[in-house]
Amino acid sequence: MSQPKVPVDEADPSGGFDELATTQRAAIDIKTVSDARRVPVLRQMHGPGAPRDIPLSVDEVVVGRMPGVTIAIDSADLSRRHMRVRKAPAGLVCEDLDSRNGVYLNGVKIHSAVLSDGDQLQLGDVVFLFLEAG
Amino acid sequence: MGFFVKFWGTRGSIPTPGPHTRKYGGNTSCVEVRVDNALFICDGGTGLRELGLDLMRRGQKNLNGHFLFSHTHWDHIQGFPFFVPVYIPGNTFTVYGTQDGDRRIHELLSGQMRSDYFPVNFADLRASIVASDLGPADRTIEGVRVRCLEQQHPGRSFAFSFEAMGHKVVYATDSEIDLLFPNPEDVTKNLDRPRPIPASHLEFCQGADLLIADAQYTDREYITKIGWGHARCSTVTDLAVQAGVKQLALYHHDPMQSDEDMEAKLGMCRQRAAAFGSKVVVFGAREGMELRIN
Repeated sequence: MSQPKVPVDEADPSGGFDELATTQRAAIDIKTVSDARRVPVLRQMHGPGAPRDIPLSVDEVVVGRMPGVTIAIDSADLSRRHMRVRKAPAGLVCEDLDSRNGVYLNGVKIHSAVLSDGDQLQLGDVVFLFLEAG
Repeated sequence: MGFFVKFWGTRGSIPTPGPHTRKYGGNTSCVEVRVDNALFICDGGTGLRELGLDLMRRGQKNLNGHFLFSHTHWDHIQGFPFFVPVYIPGNTFTVYGTQDGDRRIHELLSGQMRSDYFPVNFADLRASIVASDLGPADRTIEGVRVRCLEQQHPGRSFAFSFEAMGHKVVYATDSEIDLLFPNPEDVTKNLDRPRPIPASHLEFCQGADLLIADAQYTDREYITKIGWGHARCSTVTDLAVQAGVKQLALYHHDPMQSDEDMEAKLGMCRQRAAAFGSKVVVFGAREGMELRIN
């Protein structure tokens, strides 16, 4: 298995985090950076809808292509239900939901992992940066 | 169902909790290898306690697990008395020795639960704890081929490989490979050159989908720790490169290394692998990280 190349987005992380038409709102709100950092966030750096911050303010968030998941992203690289982030005793855990293209944590294909500040998650052409609250 | 590996304890020598080790973890050695319903537990450091709690959460009755201990130094057995499933009637755990008739590890595990060390006696465990061995060569356990390899470590240690579904995972901790080199001083003088990895280790790790390897020291740290039984991260990188390993998990992190130090060590190993033209994926084993082997 070769390590995927992670695209780098040069977007200004301090602003411009409006939600885009490609993303549907479900159980959580897509907020500005200043609001979002009161809770952990997935900062979408690349892929349809980027750049924006997705606050992890509920116990479980599902990312996928299918309308109705918590974070729906219109990318052909994504499976219908691709990745889940949920609260667990050890912290926030991300899990690959048997997706076609997998979940790469800092370049390593994982089944699940406890997230840590600064982790990069790649799901096909969609790239997130995980930021802890604070 | 499938072939999974999960890291429950990644630290070497002594538990190192705290803000500086949050990312890679502070619990000592413990890795879960799961092939369909077959459960293998590599080492019982303090990470084993967490695995035990998770197994309880999974709610499976009449658990049947297989313990493989690389050796019996504290950081590899200390979690055993805190492993809740051994207190549950109906569960069965087999503890394997590495040679025909070898019951030493089973005896040492029970020894650490003498009242001098621990309030609950081994005889009070309600699960069935069975002593067995891997035999002279290898053994197939619940459809998984399990092999072992003796390594260089004070008091001896063993690596284990697991082969199933056309895949291979190697668990090789507490192994000072440098002491097996014909001229270890030459390596220190020429750090950039490929290391002369012993054929036995190359064969054992050949083509592994995942190699979990003791990578405790940087080259600089190793110089003052020769004979302590642990590897340079640069040497295990060479092992992975030369054995055609697909993924290398740096493991048994030094208790003095913070998450930041780990990132630096990881960078060195990735750079070294790339310099040899290898595409091996090198990463630091992290507590709570689970991989599907496919």
